[in-house]
Amino acid sequence: MLTVDAIDTFIGQFHILEGVSVEVPQGSITVLLGRNGAGKTTTLKSILGLTPPRSGKITFQGKTLNGRTPYQIASMGIGYVPEHRAIFKELTVRENLLIAGRKRGDLERNIDMIFDLFPDLKRLYALPGGNLSGGQQQMLAIARALVPENHLLLIDEPSEGLAPVIIEQLMAAIKRFSQDRTVLLVEQNFRVASRLADHYVIIDDGHSVASGAMANLVHDEALIQRYLGVA
Amino acid sequence: MQDGRVTVGRTLRTNWFLGVLVAFLIALPFIVAELTGSSPYGIERGSRIIMRGESAFWMALLIEVFALTVFVMSYNLMFGFTGVISFGHALFFGLGGYTLGMLLQYTALDPNLALVLAVLLTLVLTGLSALLIGLATLRLRGVYFAIFTLAVAEMVWIFVGRWAVTNGEDGFAIDRLPAWIDPSSNRLTLYYIGLFLFVFTFLFIRRIVNSPTGSVFQAIRENEDRARAIGYHTLRYKLVAIIIAGMMAGGAGMLHGILNKKIGPEMFSVSYTVDALLMTIIGGVGTFTGPVIGAAGLHLTETLTRDIVIPLGFTSLRVGDSWLLIQGLIFVIVVMVFPFGLVGTWNRLRMRFRRRPAQAATKSSGKNVKSAG
Amino acid sequence: MNLRKALGNRGSTWLLIAGIFIAILAFSLFSAGGNMGTFAITLLSGLLRGMLLFLVAAGLSLIFGLMDILNFAQGAFFMVGAYLAYDVSHPSGGALTAGAAIPDPNLRFIVGLVLAVIVGGALGFVLERGLLRPLYKRPLFQLVLTFGVSIIMLEGIKAIWGGTPYIWTERLVAQDAQFFVFGQQFSVYRLVIIVVGFALMAGVALLLRRTRIGIIIRAGVQDAEMVNALGINVRAVFTLVFVIGCALAALGGGVAAPFLGATLSMGNTFLLASIAAIVLGGLGSYEGTAIASLLVGLGWATMEQFSVRPEVGTVVASITPMLMLVVILLLKPSGLFGEER
Repeated sequence: MLTVDAIDTFIGQFHILEGVSVEVPQGSITVLLGRNGAGKTTTLKSILGLTPPRSGKITFQGKTLNGRTPYQIASMGIGYVPEHRAIFKELTVRENLLIAGRKRGDLERNIDMIFDLFPDLKRLYALPGGNLSGGQQQMLAIARALVPENHLLLIDEPSEGLAPVIIEQLMAAIKRFSQDRTVLLVEQNFRVASRLADHYVIIDDGHSVASGAMANLVHDEALIQRYLGVA
Repeated sequence: MQDGRVTVGRTLRTNWFLGVLVAFLIALPFIVAELTGSSPYGIERGSRIIMRGESAFWMALLIEVFALTVFVMSYNLMFGFTGVISFGHALFFGLGGYTLGMLLQYTALDPNLALVLAVLLTLVLTGLSALLIGLATLRLRGVYFAIFTLAVAEMVWIFVGRWAVTNGEDGFAIDRLPAWIDPSSNRLTLYYIGLFLFVFTFLFIRRIVNSPTGSVFQAIRENEDRARAIGYHTLRYKLVAIIIAGMMAGGAGMLHGILNKKIGPEMFSVSYTVDALLMTIIGGVGTFTGPVIGAAGLHLTETLTRDIVIPLGFTSLRVGDSWLLIQGLIFVIVVMVFPFGLVGTWNRLRMRFRRRPAQAATKSSGKNVKSAG
Repeated sequence: MNLRKALGNRGSTWLLIAGIFIAILAFSLFSAGGNMGTFAITLLSGLLRGMLLFLVAAGLSLIFGLMDILNFAQGAFFMVGAYLAYDVSHPSGGALTAGAAIPDPNLRFIVGLVLAVIVGGALGFVLERGLLRPLYKRPLFQLVLTFGVSIIMLEGIKAIWGGTPYIWTERLVAQDAQFFVFGQQFSVYRLVIIVVGFALMAGVALLLRRTRIGIIIRAGVQDAEMVNALGINVRAVFTLVFVIGCALAALGGGVAAPFLGATLSMGNTFLLASIAAIVLGGLGSYEGTAIASLLVGLGWATMEQFSVRPEVGTVVASITPMLMLVVILLLKPSGLFGEER
């Protein structure tokens, strides 16, 4: 569904990504693994056009993403859940969700599905985003990406800073809605990643160094040790 | 950066342009005198000496340019190198002028003593006000400092404009200058003083910017948060920058006052600050020669084209009256098309042309102007 | 509107606002020497001034909150509005004579206002699209650019209309009609402005709270990049907000012209006072701007009234906006409703 083909991304003078390639099969949950600072977040941002690559090609459902602005890329059906949630704290849960809709009635159509996945949001519907706990904010951020018709979701470190119980809930929800969507995940927590994803790509120091089926990776101690540090 | 050895040859090579310029400027009054048959020493009319002729004219013009250039260079130190935007720089300019004027005209002090006192007092007053203003708002986001300086400068301008003591809006004339410095009888001395001030300011600023302090200034301009994270007390450095800039601007104000022998509240007006801002940007932010070229270029152009009239459909524009408008338009064009200014853009073109190693390419244009002198 | 929640969260802020308000009222009463008529007029003038400030400050505030640009040219837009309204209404004065086509001065004035809004919006569009948009990556230059543009606009106005201030001479129906309060008279026109101003304040507040575009703007003030990532063309929203802000400022100038005339200094004065208002209100907060505009307006009118006394002199009135700005920056730069950015 999404093909990242040998992209080079610079932030200012710094060469962050060098020839990174990622293949995201349709309907899968693919995870980007790697140490801190390897370039995983930058890869997501490059896909969305927030830090556009200087060279290389990115195609989504056959269409080229290069040269498009972030909002154009998002409108093509890509939902983004950034690191640290980035919900609008002064807006209510309802307003956060409303703004994410792209077509008329998007929210009305999907609100039941969202409440089903994240029952807490129903209770918190009229509260400002800033009043929510970390876990609830993460749910809101993900729910936001489910309001419009998004075929691909880019989710950056959803488990960061959350209690294990919440992480479990989150993982269950992700597993459920990804049944008819494709997900590209960035996850530092290998336990979470291994249980959630069916494909993996390892990013190390700005390069894509390994990829394949998650089922194979979990047995490959050498690979895990080499690129993911302390497993 | 260079190795520590400073040989005569190297100094001459990097500064040859400056040296030639200074030598030219020193000789200028006499060159003009030769070419036009006027005298740089003035003409004797009875018991007095008056200044007439092209040589005298050009000296006056250049003294004004020296004052303006020092003013703009000081603004560049603050804005171009340290990234601090001020919209009230004219405050220091006016302080210099009024301190000088009032000490000479409103006290019974011996004129020479008054002059010396004026210099000292200007340094103190400008330094102090810069310090106070800085302490008040430099801790906040840059835009607050800009607003604060604008408000303070406006207040002072309005206040001085209505101050009966100094004749309010009309200002007052200076007629007690000692003969040796009075531009009406001995312009040559003032000319060389102005030239000295100009060269001194130029070299001083270059010295500071190339020093470790200057590196911190530029780090603050690039990314203040990062500079602070590294451990620098950015507030202190910014304060130093604006205090020095303020003092220099005060000096420029004094020179301007002596040359024109008139002090008025327009010295506090926002148009001087605008001049500094525009000339810095047009010349080249964060370069050494940029402000000089910007200031000198614009002022000379304005003076020499002042009486040209441009027909525009049903009306016509006299350049002199619409100069601010023209300058503003040049400014907008420069910001959009040559954001690094004339000198800055020139430097970048040269860099790309010479294909320097990647290391030099990442440094700011300010450092690369070392060789331009 | 979550008024109760807002009150709960910021009880101390509302207390502060009440305190400032009462202090201004008290000072005003004192300076009026107990004369209820003078006091009432000062209050009304203050509200009027506050409304005009609001028209300029609302744009300033939203533009700053959304785009991180302090639009120094807002004052110039105010002036353009005033000059245009004056010009159309006074076919014999001013630079253009197009206004002569309309015989009724009241109609001329309305046309002048409409023209002011259209020209203000158009200029704002050109400014944002042509000059500011290419500079998004360089905020330092954006600030400098709006400052430069304000100078250009000032000089442009001077080139077209000359340097002498224009005094309004046409009599509008609403101006002639007076009403009396405590024995002092106050024109209906000014009252209308106050009422319409309040309506506008409420209208914009509703727009921000209830409509989708309002939600987008409020979201953009917090995190414009995220709004972009959600599939919304934030740049277009920037342009929209900028254009509306400039148009409002021009409207303000046009509305003010009948009693302030058209002068070259009004732009700067109102700009500084508006900046005082948005700083006091808290940069980026609409509610803060609205309330602060009224407070600054009241304070300004009170100081003007106070400086009528011979021992005070007119200097105080002239520097009041700047003085307020300086005091606010020294005491509480984050403002009443501002976040600690």
